[in-house]
Amino acid sequence: MIPPTARSETAPAARPETELALAGLWRVVVLNDPVNLMSYVVLVFRRVFGFDEPTARRHMLEVHEQGRSVVWTGVREKAEAYVFTLQQWHLTAILVPDEAH
Amino acid sequence: MRRIEVKLNLQVVAPLLDLMKETVGDLTGRLAAPQQLQDVDPELRAGWRDELLQGQNDDCRKFLAMFDRDFFAGGVVGFDEANAEGVLRACAAIRLRLRDRELAGVADDALESGSLDITQLTPRLQKAFMCYVFLATLQELIIQHLDAALLEG
Repeated sequence: MIPPTARSETAPAARPETELALAGLWRVVVLNDPVNLMSYVVLVFRRVFGFDEPTARRHMLEVHEQGRSVVWTGVREKAEAYVFTLQQWHLTAILVPDEAH
Repeated sequence: MRRIEVKLNLQVVAPLLDLMKETVGDLTGRLAAPQQLQDVDPELRAGWRDELLQGQNDDCRKFLAMFDRDFFAGGVVGFDEANAEGVLRACAAIRLRLRDRELAGVADDALESGSLDITQLTPRLQKAFMCYVFLATLQELIIQHLDAALLEG
């Protein structure tokens, strides 16, 4: 998890507009891909988020059938860390601002 | 996780190794899954990508290390806590690259269901498809054991 941590240690003086952009809640969204096995995606969700089997399976099916699933919502730094970990497992994961907040 | 040893059919798997090694070579400096990093802080982006590449390289090394003297002597490969997750991720990376590089002309449905008339494929495509299926089988095998380890807590 080097990248997300590195920013907080090396960031120069905060710029108000950047702070504003990064504040609030962020969604971790996993996008569908035609290659990774369903069982693999379920295992990754269980491993990364600690989901139980039914929850992991529900998110996997959402990805498979709807093309995307919001798997986590929270503060930017933790969302970045989750996206990075999902990408290490070769899932296509993105960060999206949570418009509801 | 206990160490698991699996005996593979040497005559089937050994001929696939050259294409799998070639695909691993093709992954050098390239992420298997194209990631959209535009939302990542630009100052972090290069380091982020480098970290992903480093992990991918490490995993692929673990994957190739399975095919050692024991494998060529009797077809045996082993998984344990030290390599299982890395091998699992490497299988995903190689499958993703095979899909893009070798199997781009094959429909997703046909690949997913395995309903391909392999005799209609060129030798190169046949081999790529065999690799693709073999890696999925290996993943399923590892997942079964990792699932059991998860349940054991």
